[in-house]
Amino acid sequence: MARMKFLCDAERCIECNGCVTACKQEHEVPWGVNRRRVVTINDGVPGEKSISVACMHCSDAPCMAVCPVDCFYKTDEGVVLHDKDLCIGCGYCFYACPFGAPQFPQAGAFGLRGKMDKCTFCAGGPEKDHSAEEWQKYGRNRLAEGKLPACAEMCSTKALLGGDGDIVADIYRTRVLKRGGKGSEAYGWGSAYGPPTGGAPAAATAPKS
Amino acid sequence: MTAWLVAFALTGFAGIAWSQSQPAAAPAPPATPAKAAPQTFDSVLNPNAAEQAKRQQAQPGNNAPVWRDVRSEKPYYTTDRGVEAGVLIQSGGETWRQRRNNQIIPIGGALFLGAVGIGLLFYLWKGTMKLKERPTGRLMPRFSGFERSVHWTVAITFSVLAISGLVMLFGKYVLLPIFGHTLFAWLTILLKNMHNFVGPVFAIAVVIMFFTFVRDNWPTVRDAIWFAKAGGLLSGEHVPSGRFNGGEKVWFWIGVLGFGVTASASGLVLDFPNFEQTRGLMQLANVVHVVSTVLMMSMALGHIYMGTVGVEGAFNAMKTGYVDEAWAKEHHEYWYNEVRNVATPHASGGPVPVAAPQNKEEGV
Repeated sequence: MARMKFLCDAERCIECNGCVTACKQEHEVPWGVNRRRVVTINDGVPGEKSISVACMHCSDAPCMAVCPVDCFYKTDEGVVLHDKDLCIGCGYCFYACPFGAPQFPQAGAFGLRGKMDKCTFCAGGPEKDHSAEEWQKYGRNRLAEGKLPACAEMCSTKALLGGDGDIVADIYRTRVLKRGGKGSEAYGWGSAYGPPTGGAPAAATAPKS
Repeated sequence: MTAWLVAFALTGFAGIAWSQSQPAAAPAPPATPAKAAPQTFDSVLNPNAAEQAKRQQAQPGNNAPVWRDVRSEKPYYTTDRGVEAGVLIQSGGETWRQRRNNQIIPIGGALFLGAVGIGLLFYLWKGTMKLKERPTGRLMPRFSGFERSVHWTVAITFSVLAISGLVMLFGKYVLLPIFGHTLFAWLTILLKNMHNFVGPVFAIAVVIMFFTFVRDNWPTVRDAIWFAKAGGLLSGEHVPSGRFNGGEKVWFWIGVLGFGVTASASGLVLDFPNFEQTRGLMQLANVVHVVSTVLMMSMALGHIYMGTVGVEGAFNAMKTGYVDEAWAKEHHEYWYNEVRNVATPHASGGPVPVAAPQNKEEGV
């Protein structure tokens, strides 16, 4: 089974925020919560780089490890999902996550946290696929429809890739080779997926060819 | 800098014109205003911006300065208004996770279970410490109504916080396998909300408690003797003490004041996330909170043991406010003598039963 991964190509991202908008619209994400965001380094300076960030669906997910009620689970495709019925709103996943993915809608005075919300890789939640409960709590389940995440599908420059990790890596490797081995760094891959396991890293093979 | 700003004002150009003129800005004398670095948000905050601009010219495709920024944990530009949304990767979370899951939970759990075990063994060994002499039937006021209210406010809030805290820290490993996800989560949601609302009450009550009991907990030379003899706990020897003995004073200063205030302060940081605290601060607060509370709970077990099954008559003192004269003489002889000889008990206020000696309000 495919291992789903996100990859944002910093050489291509133009900070159009199309992915953010696509996500918001696709899932009708509540006000105050952003499942995806674009961060720009050196904004307005030559050489600025933008990166689109959401939950990376880590291999060894810190959110899963620290959750006091064990509300997270991982699908066969490596997508990290959570059960909002179990979530107690403690915020531990937010402390642990390197990417700032978990978000909490405010549920009361003094910043009382509601049920955590985060990117689902457009894979819904534990409820029955396409059910009203699933839609209401987690948004659309595009994976069950045979589609890839809306953000990546919408990306105008195909900077954001989402899908089978092997295919994503192949596309990216080809790009890096065509760039002459430059711009091979993939944001968050080390943090999310650990050291590469199969195949040679693109940067190491590129200069020889 | 000032010269540059003046020059900027004089040119009368908008920032756009400046940034458009920038690509030509090769190594230039810094005094020349026309070729100064563009004054944008990031170029002011981020010294790497200029480095990346230069690097891009010299080695196209080499983005090392940018990737250093990605790992720097500094916030960069984003339209997302969330707290720390501009931070690309924060590394503290993984450290916190390792510390919590691999150190605090196993070590804290062992410590707490160890304290429970020691209490149990001690009870099996010594049992309840009975009064050696027969009760006289004459009662002495030991705790005023106010003192008891303060004590029980702290005690009840503490118990609620301790039980809910234990479930949140260890429940995943102990209760979850028994209860299953649905029931355990339902229970934990309830306890977490109680924890969040009872916490501030405890914080205030602990401060009031400190001022209520500090006078009689001031360390004296007598306490040193008490400690040297371990309070007679093991030998069974009679060791006189004031209103509070050495052990109670240690609990007061380290447990109530030290851990109580530390736990309250760190807990308040976690309880009110609406002040835009960073994750780094909350990770630190969580570690401080859990360490101080596990130590406090372990110590509290000793206090609860001595106040209930450990010593006959101790629970009644805090329940009714009165103790038998025989009890006072046996456990707090100096205090008993003070009360007898001066006839000015420490406990202030509260009704005095007919049998008890008349007391006046006076501090010592």
